[in-house]
Amino acid sequence: MICVRNLVKRHGLQEVLRGVTLEVDRGDVAVVVGPSGGGKSTFLRCLNGLERIDSGSIEMNGTTLRAGLPPREEERRVREIRAHVGMVFQQFHLFPHMTVLQNILEAPVHVLRRPPEEARARAEALLERVGLPAKARSLPHQLSGGEQQRVAIARALAMDPEVILFDEPTSALDPRMTGEVLSVMTDLASEGQTMVVVTHAMGFARRVANKVHVFHEGRVAESGPPEQVFGAPREDVTREFLRMAAD
Amino acid sequence: MAGPARADTLDEILERGGFTWGADEEGGGPFIFPDPADPARRTGFEVDLAAALAAELTRSLGRPIEARFCQAQWDKLPDLLKTGRIDLVLNGYEWSPERAQVMASTVPYYVYELQLLARAGDGRFAAGWDALLGPERLKVGVLGGSAAERHVAERYPAAELKSYDGNTNAMGDVVKGRLDATVQDLPIAAFYGKEFPALRVAGEPAAPGRYVIFVRKEDGRLREALDRAILALRDRGALREIYGRYGIWTRVQEDPVLTSLPAATVTAEALTVAGFLAKHGRTFLEAAGMTVLLSLVSMPLAILLGILVALGRLYGPRPLSLALAAYVEALRGTPLMLQLFVIFYVFPAAGIRLDAFAASVLGLAVNYSAYEAEIYRAGLQAVHAGQMEAALALGMSRGLALRRIVIPQAVRIVIPAVTNDFIALFKDTSVCSVITVVELTKRYNIAAMTHPAEVLPLAAVTGLLYLAMSYPLSVFSRRMERRLHG
Repeated sequence: MICVRNLVKRHGLQEVLRGVTLEVDRGDVAVVVGPSGGGKSTFLRCLNGLERIDSGSIEMNGTTLRAGLPPREEERRVREIRAHVGMVFQQFHLFPHMTVLQNILEAPVHVLRRPPEEARARAEALLERVGLPAKARSLPHQLSGGEQQRVAIARALAMDPEVILFDEPTSALDPRMTGEVLSVMTDLASEGQTMVVVTHAMGFARRVANKVHVFHEGRVAESGPPEQVFGAPREDVTREFLRMAAD
Repeated sequence: MAGPARADTLDEILERGGFTWGADEEGGGPFIFPDPADPARRTGFEVDLAAALAAELTRSLGRPIEARFCQAQWDKLPDLLKTGRIDLVLNGYEWSPERAQVMASTVPYYVYELQLLARAGDGRFAAGWDALLGPERLKVGVLGGSAAERHVAERYPAAELKSYDGNTNAMGDVVKGRLDATVQDLPIAAFYGKEFPALRVAGEPAAPGRYVIFVRKEDGRLREALDRAILALRDRGALREIYGRYGIWTRVQEDPVLTSLPAATVTAEALTVAGFLAKHGRTFLEAAGMTVLLSLVSMPLAILLGILVALGRLYGPRPLSLALAAYVEALRGTPLMLQLFVIFYVFPAAGIRLDAFAASVLGLAVNYSAYEAEIYRAGLQAVHAGQMEAALALGMSRGLALRRIVIPQAVRIVIPAVTNDFIALFKDTSVCSVITVVELTKRYNIAAMTHPAEVLPLAAVTGLLYLAMSYPLSVFSRRMERRLHG
């Protein structure tokens, strides 16, 4: 479903991604871990075209992105990918001028052109699913961080995405709120939602992931099922990282 | 403004060795204007007259006295006289009963007449002044607050008056066809006639009036000394020589009645609130309405233009972005007044002919669009980049994301700054008076000019009207802010 080959991304002279290759299958929960500055977030943002790639290729759901596409064609493909790929940000990025319900309705109504009534019913169901049915008319700033992030997940789900990208979804939250959000994500995983998660929450990675990728200095240092990566790491980099993360 | 009892200014003048006379170089020829040969020097019949008066006073008083010029806006000369910054007003000021009430006047130094000017070959003016009687509503340009304005208003109510700040602009507008005719003091018509060969005098000179020198009321001895000097210069033929130099000597200069002051028949009428309001109420409310109308039409246009410019600068291709940056700098870097002048007086040369109201709206909207663009640029940049990314990640196009997500947030951020600009624009509408729009400030200037004794209440009413209009705006915007910020 996602197939990344030799992905290179530079910020100015600095090479942030130095040839990343990995695959994600339908129904996978792929967790990306690794020390800060390893290129995890940049990698995630390349997957839905928020960052342009410098070389290599990304195939998402049958649409391929690579460097050097004509701008128009690139724009078309990026839009196509985004229509099927949701994203959840570390800082939530809810739309502050809209109520919770409007946040969730916005894209289905204005991008997918769904009838507002139908979209509203679905949005209410999604709020139920993330445990916030009473907050439909609240404004984002009236919600706690954990609640905002759950709304952000509902907002992503409203587009019926094939894949959801999570960019450190709990890094801005305290432990209690982190728990709320991770439990929603765990439910999603158990329902078979394909997810790519960049996180520092090792417990979540251990319990929920079926594939863990360790990023280090712009490369995938090690990939494998969680029990292998966490239980019997093959690379020094992984061991070092796990030792640091345990502290 | 009468301060503590002071000696007659004549004593000070003797002590200082000179008098300070106020005039406005901008009023132009033949009164006082920059010397074509050396623009740093001034020339004109009033410059020569001031020098001749100084020489005459030196001779008669036996002490050296020189004429010192002080530049000032023409219609503000009486105020300047009152504050003591000048000793006399010598600048084509006609004697009027209202002025005689607040200032002391010398004997006339020049008798002017009014001259009607129209385009050569304009058959409608074959009958001279009578053309203004109707039925056709002819557009006549005059100097705001001048005797010409009063004369036309009183005698020819069928004519449509357009009030100008300078003389040559009105003459130019007759040539361009924006006006049908203009009424000018004869010296001006005579002096500038050669620069407007397309104009012809229509009818005989009419409505003679007296140019006099004004001094402060309490300076009786200075006035007498000046009277004696003027009479001496006239008897010696010196006046005739000066006026001849500028081509403005006329036969009426020898009319014994016109060259002396009329009997002061005016009895100061008591100023009552009812009388004051009856006299000025309607014209001031109309002028205030014009101020509001200009603001309400210009500001939305300025905001719309400003948003487009800001979007172009931030998200447009590079050449567009650079061009818009130049647009903003050019408009912010030049005065609104100049821009209005260009739109009103220069655009017609390129075939773009706008009436004064349209030109004012265009000028204000374009000028303020530059400021709005900068405000919106800052507002758009102040919206967290994550908002755009979140919108894009949901599959929105850039345009949709701007429209639905980024711009609504930017609007909330910029409301205080935009309100501030609205109030500034509201007051800047007064600049439009330079292109003949009569709004509140212009109305005040005109009224203050014709009723110098009522300057204080007029200024108070004007200020109150501005405040009464801008304060609700502040309240409204505060409410908006509160509502939008929840």
